[in-house]
Amino acid sequence: MRSFRAGAFALCLLLGFGLSLSRAADIQIPSSPSRWATDTAGFLSAGALDALDQKLEAYAQQTGHQVIVYIGGTTGGYPIEEFAVKAFEAWKVGRQGLDDGLALFIMAEDRAVRIEVGYGLESIVPDITAGRIVNDILIPKVRAGDADGAVSDAVSAIIAAISGEPVPAAPRPGRSSARTIFIIFGIIIFAMLFITSPSLALWLLVNILGGGSHGSGGVRGSGSIGRVFPKSGSSGGWRSGSGGGGFRSSGGGGFRGGGGRSGGGGASGRW
Amino acid sequence: MATEGTPAPTGRPKKKLGLGLGCLAVVIIGLLILGTWGVGQYNSLVSLDQKVRSQWAQVENAYQRRADLIPNLVETVKGAAEFEKETYTAVAEARSKVGQIRLDENLLNNSEAFAKFQAAQDELGSALSRLLVAVEKYPDLKATQNFRDLQVQLEGTENRITVERQRFNETAQAFNTKRMSFPTVLIAGFFGSRFAEKAYFTAQPGAETAPKVKF
Repeated sequence: MRSFRAGAFALCLLLGFGLSLSRAADIQIPSSPSRWATDTAGFLSAGALDALDQKLEAYAQQTGHQVIVYIGGTTGGYPIEEFAVKAFEAWKVGRQGLDDGLALFIMAEDRAVRIEVGYGLESIVPDITAGRIVNDILIPKVRAGDADGAVSDAVSAIIAAISGEPVPAAPRPGRSSARTIFIIFGIIIFAMLFITSPSLALWLLVNILGGGSHGSGGVRGSGSIGRVFPKSGSSGGWRSGSGGGGFRSSGGGGFRGGGGRSGGGGASGRW
Repeated sequence: MATEGTPAPTGRPKKKLGLGLGCLAVVIIGLLILGTWGVGQYNSLVSLDQKVRSQWAQVENAYQRRADLIPNLVETVKGAAEFEKETYTAVAEARSKVGQIRLDENLLNNSEAFAKFQAAQDELGSALSRLLVAVEKYPDLKATQNFRDLQVQLEGTENRITVERQRFNETAQAFNTKRMSFPTVLIAGFFGSRFAEKAYFTAQPGAETAPKVKF
């Protein structure tokens, strides 16, 4: 009887210890999402969420980069940075060894947003870039009440950044003029190339156009596709026509972590 | 009697020999098992030790990243705001103090040096946060793109430091647990300081006021 009591006591102690350990691990991380864009807070419209999901899935299939969006209600009082790093670790966003994943977290009730960048993307999406996407693109639109536009523009900017297009530092005008200069330059160089070696020029042209139509080719190509895409998506017609739930239920794969890791890189903001 | 007695003298040494051989075999097998077990324990200690070291490299990277940001930050602040010099000279001083600490492998096995390293880094952290608080008084400076970028970078760096320090503590805990638990502690003790207990990062006194860059 006595030994039984001692055993029970030891068991209680052990359990208590286990509990205290699991309390030390504290923050509650939801189980890994099965979609590329998840919204448990009703932050986005269903259409925008589906469009995002398809876009991110297509992007992962084309480039291998796992980019996910997770929108929740609250972290339960913890900083969103801590939530992001733990969730990224638990969900293993990105490919193993490459660590090329990226996750956009939004906590609707906390009014907090965080871009968590995998180790492998830290040099491609440095904190400054992530910070600009958060502060100059996402938050102003959320403040203006356009949650769908905010998230889809932010995702487009993230994809553009990963694909190599520079993210605008400030409002658009500066960027678009820089872009026209860039395009003019490209045309001049192309003309020169065409004169010197037409076959190479034609080959390049075919390649760029071909890549552009798949959205995965030239660096500039995929960037501009990324810019155009959300606009056509948010206009509604295209999405309801061919998208809808069909794509998802047909089992396009959904999100499954690939073993990527992150180390607190990225940026966060509050609105 | 004689016929019964004859096998005994020859059987006895044989039995003894067999018993001796058996004992020897048992001892040898025992030693082999012990050796294999010892090697296994040693190897697992080595692999945990390596994990701690590689995580330590991550911690160092994060701290180095912060140190690298400081000259730029000080320049930016110096140029735009002519306020109390003390604030940014304090940052510069704290940084040079951090730079003076030799980062060698021994730091991990020497809790005193480790504490010194942490103290220097924490001092730099609080000097930085004081600077950022002081900057609040200069809205013009805060509004510049350069400063905003620096703020984002600093914030990211502080976050990385937090993350990597926490992961370091986790790997150090895994190592220490293994190293201190009963049978392994004999093996670890046998190799002396090769498997010394790892030190942990501790929360900064007054960590509530740790550098938290506000937008």
